Amino acid sequence: MSDLPRRKVGVVACSGEEIAEGTVTRLAALRVLGYLRPDDTVTICLPLFLAGGEGDRQFARFYPTIAVDGCAKRCAARATEMYSGKPAASVVVSDVVAERGIGCVEGRRQLNDAGHQAVKATAEHIALLVDEWLGKTGGHHADMPTAPVSDPERSQEGETTCSCGSGIPVQNVMVDGHMVTFIALPLIMQQFRAAGKAPDEHTARDLLNTVRIYTEVPDGAEDAYTSALLRVYAAFCGQQEAT
Amino acid sequence: MTDTTRRVMIVPCSGIGKPYGTVSREAAYEIVEDLRPDHTQLVALSMLVMGDADARAAVAACPAVTIDGCKLACATKMVRESGGMVVREFAVLDVYRRHKDYKPQGIARLNEGGQKLAHVLAEEVATVVDDLATHLSSTQQEESQGGGHV
Repeated sequence: MSDLPRRKVGVVACSGEEIAEGTVTRLAALRVLGYLRPDDTVTICLPLFLAGGEGDRQFARFYPTIAVDGCAKRCAARATEMYSGKPAASVVVSDVVAERGIGCVEGRRQLNDAGHQAVKATAEHIALLVDEWLGKTGGHHADMPTAPVSDPERSQEGETTCSCGSGIPVQNVMVDGHMVTFIALPLIMQQFRAAGKAPDEHTARDLLNTVRIYTEVPDGAEDAYTSALLRVYAAFCGQQEAT
Repeated sequence: MTDTTRRVMIVPCSGIGKPYGTVSREAAYEIVEDLRPDHTQLVALSMLVMGDADARAAVAACPAVTIDGCKLACATKMVRESGGMVVREFAVLDVYRRHKDYKPQGIARLNEGGQKLAHVLAEEVATVVDDLATHLSSTQQEESQGGGHV
């Protein structure tokens, strides 16, 4: 099976505006996304699971996701599981604070010293989890960036609607008379095309195997899906050649 | 209007991808902590996403002002989906278009332009809160005088 575009880990912060620990989740997530693991992570605004589109709701199916919550209500973890997919890991700031013996976190608008310590500790914890999920453990310290970062606020790749990096591209395809939404199909076809795969029966089977990671293929419908994917991929290749 | 049920709910964006999200939060904090602490209450968007009973009850019982950081308008959508009434929706981008001198930069820490933009926005929201406070106060008076028709 062909690799999908570079594997990354999703980081979803609760962002809880009412409490200081919510501010810690935001700043810790930003530290991971912009400094510690910029090339390995993406994020999405939690509300987009409801307010966004189908591509947003597939976020946790597409990316192994680390939910970062400020308190035991665990809104980010629960909402991610409820609306997108079960998070790969869950981090709760209040737990990190207790485990590290950090003092009382205060100041939702301006964090106190304990709050800044909590940001650093939480970010390091997230970075370690990212490494675990990407199989990069043991190579470097969690508090060290894995890649040089020139602009920590750079935009994320993908069909980004909100700059949080949301918006996994989807494509609607008619399969046996029914419209089916294929998650990440545009990305998959781009990669197949870049790999020089011709639109033939063999490629169509490879496409099906890759596509079904993100989109359910009903039992007994494989032939219809394969045929539809071949048709769409052939059209895609034709468009690419024309341009 | 110090009763919680008569406060105006302020619901900012949760975004961490753009400075505009940070501006929305900073403006919200300025309103609820500095400008109109007795008349407003902050509601976390994540609580509405999870359907938290208290958060839903708060936006259902009180008028809400939303402050969105991008065109997806998550705050406005979530308040409405939670059964709340959005009396005024602000978009940071709209405010920025009227105050081009205050270009916000920085997400974890806003630059001076972003802070000024947040302040201008907070002042605008405060005006809306004042209007609502007057309206709610007169409604309360009418109700207490027995004229509480719907």
